Amino acid sequence: MSELELALTRIGRDLDYPDAPELVAPVRQRLAEARRPRSWRRPLVIALAVLVVAVVAVMAVPQARSAILDWLGIGSVTVRYVEELPKLERTGDLGLGDEMSLSETRERASFPIKVPMIEGLDDPKTYFRGEIGQVSFLYGSEDDPKLLITQVIGTGTLEKLLHETNIQVITADGARGAWLSGGEHVLFLPGLGEQRFVGNVLILERPDGVTTRIEADVSKDEALRIYRSMR
Amino acid sequence: MVGRPLTEQELIERARRGDQDAYGDLVHAYQGIAFRTAYLLTGNAADAQDAAQDAFVKAFYALGRFRRGAELRPWLLRIVANEARNRRRSAGRRVNLALRAAAAVPSGGAAPSPESSVLDSERHGALLDAVNGLREEEREVVACRYFLELSEEETAETLGLRKGTVKSRLSRALAHLREHMEADDV
Repeated sequence: MSELELALTRIGRDLDYPDAPELVAPVRQRLAEARRPRSWRRPLVIALAVLVVAVVAVMAVPQARSAILDWLGIGSVTVRYVEELPKLERTGDLGLGDEMSLSETRERASFPIKVPMIEGLDDPKTYFRGEIGQVSFLYGSEDDPKLLITQVIGTGTLEKLLHETNIQVITADGARGAWLSGGEHVLFLPGLGEQRFVGNVLILERPDGVTTRIEADVSKDEALRIYRSMR
Repeated sequence: MVGRPLTEQELIERARRGDQDAYGDLVHAYQGIAFRTAYLLTGNAADAQDAAQDAFVKAFYALGRFRRGAELRPWLLRIVANEARNRRRSAGRRVNLALRAAAAVPSGGAAPSPESSVLDSERHGALLDAVNGLREEEREVVACRYFLELSEEETAETLGLRKGTVKSRLSRALAHLREHMEADDV
């Protein structure tokens, strides 16, 4: 090592670091919180799949659907019915984070990213939002999005606020989730205080815990076709 | 009967299967360097704490993709670095590291004279100022390689770079620091 490199090493030992926090307890608490809902949600998924028809019927009554869906969580997404949607300005900002290459996004994401293989579409723009670890593929532009696919891992990252939107619980290729359609709802990021209007969206939690959202003005079958194309 | 402590690989295997006690032991072992890494990349204690904590949570869920037999430290630090960089970019803040007050007496070696201690302290302060003034990509490799004392391989993995890129950035950074220090001596 040169004299300069040795000096830098000595400086490193003399840096004024803040006291290192104790991280074991908070990390364990977060892991425990993340696991707790799964223990009761999983069995309920089976029941929900069986009772889809009944649920759809009950949803015609606002109070009843509020009681039913207030707890519905799909991976990173919590779905709630509200009496009235928030009044929001339409800014054209989708809150996707930093645009970057797919390879750089793969380096940053803490989960395996799946890429849609859709013929006839240009390559999407890729974004990474570090605060919530979300990866997004955008077809079109933020002002005029044709198709938006996001992937995120964890629980409680996103909330869906529904008023007139229909919800259908579905499963696909081992993933479970819901198809939200028929009226705009609001996507809310509790940790960041951001919200925006959203149209039809397919939400599916993969078996590995990654939640995929496919947001586009398409049918449920088309959204599922897009989901199944992801490799 | 007293059992032997589990090895790191055994702890990793248990953590992979969801054993949070085992993962807690790994967090305990690496929380210090994880926090220091995050602090060097964010320059802010609160951001560094959040980044390190988030990184450990994400790493737990990503353990299934951790290659068996690989070094855990650089793999963990890469997740920490990603979290830290994202926070720094969000905050738009410039990192400005400082020396401890006690660093007036340089660490290691024989007791220096008071005059040389002051001189070394001033030089170290000036050198750290120069590091703070480097471009972000150069400052990051200097921080990992020299301040954290990671190897070039670990620096590359932590920052998500090729080893050759680390070498070239270090070379450029050292050249800039030499220029800066020579200009200061004039």
